[in-house]
Amino acid sequence: MDDLRIVERSVDTQGFKITARGVQVYYGEKHALKDVDCDILDKTVTAFIGPSGCGKSTFLRCLNRMNDTVSIARVQGEIRLDGEDIYDKRVDPVQLRAKVGMVFQKPNPFPKSIYDNVAYGPKIHGLTRSKSELDGIVEASLKKAALWNEVKDRLGEPGTGLSGGQQQRLCIARAVATHPEVLLMDEPCSALDPIATAQVEELIDELRSNFSVVIVTHSMQQAARVSQKTAFFHLGNLVEYGETGQIFTNPKDPRTESYISGRIG
Amino acid sequence: MSDATANGIPASGAPAKSSLLTQDALMRKRNAAEARFKAYGIAAIALSLSVLFIMLWTIFTDGVSAFRQASLTFPVTLDAERLDPEGNRNPEEMARVTTIGYTNLLNDALVAHLAAEGISTEGVDDGDIADFISRGTPAELRDQVLADPALLGQTITVSGFASGRIDGYLKGRVTRETAAVDTNISVEQLDLADRMVEAGILTSGFNWRFLTNPDASDQRPEMSGLGVAIIGSAYMMLLVAIFTLPMGIAASIYLEEFAPKNRWTDLIEVNISNLAAVPSIVYGILGLAVFINFAGFPQSSSLVGALVISLMTLPTIIIAARAAIRAVPPSIRDAALGVGASKMQTVFHHVLPLAAPGILTGTILGLATALGETAPLLLIGMVAFVQNYPAGPFDGGMLDPATALPVQVYSWASRSDPAFIERSAGAIIVLLAFLVVMNIIAIVLRRRFERRW
Repeated sequence: MDDLRIVERSVDTQGFKITARGVQVYYGEKHALKDVDCDILDKTVTAFIGPSGCGKSTFLRCLNRMNDTVSIARVQGEIRLDGEDIYDKRVDPVQLRAKVGMVFQKPNPFPKSIYDNVAYGPKIHGLTRSKSELDGIVEASLKKAALWNEVKDRLGEPGTGLSGGQQQRLCIARAVATHPEVLLMDEPCSALDPIATAQVEELIDELRSNFSVVIVTHSMQQAARVSQKTAFFHLGNLVEYGETGQIFTNPKDPRTESYISGRIG
Repeated sequence: MSDATANGIPASGAPAKSSLLTQDALMRKRNAAEARFKAYGIAAIALSLSVLFIMLWTIFTDGVSAFRQASLTFPVTLDAERLDPEGNRNPEEMARVTTIGYTNLLNDALVAHLAAEGISTEGVDDGDIADFISRGTPAELRDQVLADPALLGQTITVSGFASGRIDGYLKGRVTRETAAVDTNISVEQLDLADRMVEAGILTSGFNWRFLTNPDASDQRPEMSGLGVAIIGSAYMMLLVAIFTLPMGIAASIYLEEFAPKNRWTDLIEVNISNLAAVPSIVYGILGLAVFINFAGFPQSSSLVGALVISLMTLPTIIIAARAAIRAVPPSIRDAALGVGASKMQTVFHHVLPLAAPGILTGTILGLATALGETAPLLLIGMVAFVQNYPAGPFDGGMLDPATALPVQVYSWASRSDPAFIERSAGAIIVLLAFLVVMNIIAIVLRRRFERRW
């Protein structure tokens, strides 16, 4: 944790998008996340798995400082995005969240039209200068989210009128529209049926070419299907982090083995 | 295990075999309890509905007669000799003829008209006939003549209010039995009134003036109206909305979305809830001390009334607005923050539009309560006899003395003449109509802006 070690490792961080060192999170008295070190690669899907309450969502919410909205939460340690400490006093979380987009567990489109849902981010960040540019972003984002063909004729209709899977893809389009560098997904498929889940998983794989994707999931099959790297959390500790194949076939830690074989969790 | 067997439950825990077609004792007991509870609920609702119905019915039957008024219609020759002794048609000099001059003229004209129509005035003298005419009518005729001196010398048809007792006779409030013990009216006069109704001189019609006239003195209840009270209440509602809406909404947004959760904000929250429960008369004392005695605002003015009622309404509005803001699901806030909206953008683009129907409903209901508030207005002098209309809203009318609808109800209810009782109930009907309108607006707004998420 001392400065020397970070200098030593600076060579390794070249391909890293996010580097976390010694991250501790407290909810009031409760120590929710204990000394987590984690490097997240660029243009990779990283899956966080673990039993409920293990801290994986907590860690995810640290990465775009959504934990700031929880008044009792306290975050210690260091998280760097492209080498810049995101918990630095000079960092405005609003700016950070434009770079690190987020998709939530429950689809939460704004009660506005499909178009406005996607256009909202670009509008508030001033990404466009004209209506036609904005139209372009909306179209591109909806295409990236594999939703364009289903909604192109009814962009003016409310986003809340779509089906669950469509709503979640709309939320992904909304997150993608601000051109984030990292996309965080907190159990994005837990409210979806298997068909919609398959669509979203396919989408995640496509998004990998543009962003670094971090996904929290309860489904180990899903982690195995979509991710290249997997981190296993247990009781607030990051137990094991490595290649997805290695974690699922040849776990080093006995706790990981118990979890993936279904004995704990 | 031994406890279980002691209770007669088999150790295995399996219940005794029973038929689904018969109810066991426990089930019957539970169903009976449920039926009893439903009966209590229905009884409570029925009781409150019937009380409400009785209340509304009494008010309606008492008050609806306030909207009707007996009028006398007869020709009057505007004698130039009597009304303009100088003969130069100068309104300033004509003004020297007081209302008494006009009263005499009207009395003579009515007596002459009765004679011309061949209506028997048996048992009543000229003075008794003069009692038929409201004391407000001569003043109105005088104003009319002074405004248009060219009328002098002409014969015009005057249609003026009949006096309160005659009006009461047509509405059934005054009967021959009450007239027998009433020094203000005699049975013979009532007989004459019957004959005048037959001849079409005495008629009854809808009384618009009840809504437009200012208050009137005890001697002429028929001339009194709600004009000043309606203007005063309208000014107060306008000012209360201006004072409380921005402040209440700003306070609730801050407390709900921005304020840190610590001892100070807890204290503020508790105090807001407590302020909403402070008796309204206490706010009246506060208003008297602060706004009138200290700040020196004119007493009886709608401005002071509005300030006092604003103080009283503010906690209610803050509580309603906070509840509405809290009801917006947190997922919407997460979504907005997640795409990089600032706190302020989150609140104004997403939370507030979703909370708006709730805030508006709460505010309108708060204003409706404020509209019916009487106690604090007693202390700041709005229970007054105000005969002059306040000026327009842009001419400082909010600083002029005014009354308010509930206060007018109160002051009429305490007058001695029974004619004021019906007017008091009539004022309640007007007040209730305003409240119903406000509630309907609240419902319509809620329906229109309500969105699902």
